[in-house]
Amino acid sequence: MYDYYLGGSHNFAVDRATARAMVAAVPQAPLMAQANRAFLRRAVQFLTDAGIRQFLDIGSGIPTVGNVHEIAQLHAPDSRVVYVDVDPVAVAHSREILAGNDRTAVIQEDLRQPDRILAHPDVRAMLDFSQPMAVLVVAVLHFVSDDDRPAEVLRTLRAALAPGSYLVLSQASDDGRDEAERAEAEEVYRRTDSPLWVRSRAELTGFFDGFELVEPGVVWVPQWRPETPESAEDAERAVFLGGVGRLGG
Amino acid sequence: MGEPPDGQPCAGVFARAWAKAVAGTSYLPMTHAQLELLLQRLTDLLAEALRAEPLDLRVGHKVADELVAAHIVSAEALGRTVEVIQLRLVRDLDLVSDDIEDRMARLLGAVATGYARALRDRTLDEQESIRRAAMTARVEAEQALRASEARFRHQANHDPLTDLPNRTLFAERLAAAVDGSAGSGRRVGLCFLDLDRFKRVNDSFGHQIGDRALVAAAQRLRRAVEPHLVARLGGDAFVVLVERSTGTGDVVAVAEAALAALSEPVVVDGHDVTVTASVGIVERRVAGTSPDDLMRAAGSTLHWAKSAGGAGWALYDAERDGREQARQELSAAIPAGLERGEFFLDYQPLTSLHDGSLLGVEALVRWRHPRLGVLRPDKFIGLAEETGLIVQLGGWVLAEACREAVGWTSTSGQPPYVSVNLAVRQVRRPGLVQEVRSLLRRTGLPPNRLQLEITESTMMTTSEEPVRALRALADLGIRIAIDDFGTGYSNLAYLRDLPVTELKVAGEFVRGLRTPEALADERILASLVSLAHALDLTVTAEGVETGGQAERLRAIGCDAGQGWHFGRPASPDHILARIR
Repeated sequence: MYDYYLGGSHNFAVDRATARAMVAAVPQAPLMAQANRAFLRRAVQFLTDAGIRQFLDIGSGIPTVGNVHEIAQLHAPDSRVVYVDVDPVAVAHSREILAGNDRTAVIQEDLRQPDRILAHPDVRAMLDFSQPMAVLVVAVLHFVSDDDRPAEVLRTLRAALAPGSYLVLSQASDDGRDEAERAEAEEVYRRTDSPLWVRSRAELTGFFDGFELVEPGVVWVPQWRPETPESAEDAERAVFLGGVGRLGG
Repeated sequence: MGEPPDGQPCAGVFARAWAKAVAGTSYLPMTHAQLELLLQRLTDLLAEALRAEPLDLRVGHKVADELVAAHIVSAEALGRTVEVIQLRLVRDLDLVSDDIEDRMARLLGAVATGYARALRDRTLDEQESIRRAAMTARVEAEQALRASEARFRHQANHDPLTDLPNRTLFAERLAAAVDGSAGSGRRVGLCFLDLDRFKRVNDSFGHQIGDRALVAAAQRLRRAVEPHLVARLGGDAFVVLVERSTGTGDVVAVAEAALAALSEPVVVDGHDVTVTASVGIVERRVAGTSPDDLMRAAGSTLHWAKSAGGAGWALYDAERDGREQARQELSAAIPAGLERGEFFLDYQPLTSLHDGSLLGVEALVRWRHPRLGVLRPDKFIGLAEETGLIVQLGGWVLAEACREAVGWTSTSGQPPYVSVNLAVRQVRRPGLVQEVRSLLRRTGLPPNRLQLEITESTMMTTSEEPVRALRALADLGIRIAIDDFGTGYSNLAYLRDLPVTELKVAGEFVRGLRTPEALADERILASLVSLAHALDLTVTAEGVETGGQAERLRAIGCDAGQGWHFGRPASPDHILARIR
């Protein structure tokens, strides 16, 4: 679905049908996806500029265009990236795309089981936890219900990080949505296998517990360090809030 | 164009307009400035093509390829590109010429053609790639499923401790080996192996070491009997399946290999654990046998190996097994036989040697078996003693004898007493005295008309109970006889302690009377009689077959005789006829 919104063809008929239904309910859905992907691009560029060379991208999905390793290795060729996704097709596809790139790895794990991710031998082989790294949880937290304790998941990840590490978060938010739109979008997702858990700006800010938010904090994703002033206009239409936090010390 | 004064590349007005037109049509993996730079380069290519002679349409294709490669991949992006080029390119770049409209139309046609082609290729590639990924994922999922199924199958078919095949897998393989569709000449063998006294290992070293010794034994077994299947049936019992045996020798060799492998001590945690094993071997043609038959035969054979002392093998013997099975069946049929009234009593006279009168009769049990005909006690009393059924059977004999004897009346004085054998288990059973007492009360038989015969072995106990019971019975007035005296330990001490009234001297002392070598027998008999009389006991000689023997016995002073000479065992009617 996400890939379809980004203009890709790495998708199946069922994804496209759901995506079109979503567009009917929320016309700006493709824009949301694109804005979120652009946020990821700017965030990774910010991180490489900040000297980060290790990336753990959890919930990476089907990497089509504008992947973390492409952005990071463009700016810093020695960057190492581990992709984590729970979907076997996404993992298989990632392996195919990443074949031959020995600074990347892909594992099939679930964000909701961070201990398994952190202990995975491929993760341990690729990333040095004594050095700063960036953990990216982009456009995936809204698939994690409150029952699965997202705050605890993030705390577990934080505890494994060296000082100077970063956390990048974005997720769908209902801040400023009207009821009808919210209900309709949730209804569409409910019909898929992935129910949606939208959260407020305060909740998302709470997830950065232990990190210092870098400027401009938790904002609509187009407003996060925009390249041009125009690109941040009507930012709440992007539906996604995002932010970057740094682990002090 | 596109070259600012400071030498830095920078987009011209047309490229900026183009970038603005396509921005947002799809996700662009680049900054806006990078997009403008890309489009400036493509603008330069287009402008050059429009100026060149002849018009090179391949430039249009190349521009389209680059757009698609840069992920400018939407229908909107193409529409807006055509629109902005048509509207502004000639004007913004000042590309005036006579045939510019014509050239522009052809070039735009090439861009649109190239774009459609490139986009289609890209779409097909991406579709193919995602399908391949889906297939890979499915194959991996199936592999994982198969691996986990294989794991489950292994767990279901193997013993968790030793990892040997378990009973289930063994049963499957045995059933397949014995399958009727196999060639008729095919043979199969089993070694049923059990560690000897393994419980002792557990008791002295603990179960943990016991388990590890089992694991070590299992590994040795597996190696020793390869390639034959060895399964753990549970506990310390194993079985080896020898498929396609060519004869007994094959299976014996397997058993010996197994025993040899186990003979070395196992060192577990510094302990030398020595185990030996017993093996029951069965080997036969597949035709006409079944897994159950084989297992049963192997089990019996293992039992033989164990009873022979263990640490060795035994080979199945159909005759022996048949005998044991028949005994087993006979023994199992005793309770039903009692219930159906298949048992009855014959009586043999005990005759006075002084005047030839009938002193008493010995009750002898018979079994009218529905299939085997009338069976004498030597066929089933031993079995009943082994299984404990003798208590029930002996109780019936006692009751029946009393019931019949009470009806015997004599015209010439005292009617004969009835003598009944008591088995060891009966005497040792608490409640015997109570049973006899109530039996006498119920039947009305006077106590002095009942004699109980016990064997010497009955007294070979340290327990006081049997002695006390016999005293109580004697106190009731019941006669107590020692049966088969002279063949056991003939311990004279209990003649002093017990309330015995009579000795029955074994027939083998009688048999030799009147033959030259009988001198010793006669002297023994004479001594026994004088000893008995000195203790106030009467003596009955068993096995008296001839008048001569009777004569000698009378001369010695023996009180009574029993044997063919005086009368064979017969029905109560015969007895009645004799006393009237």
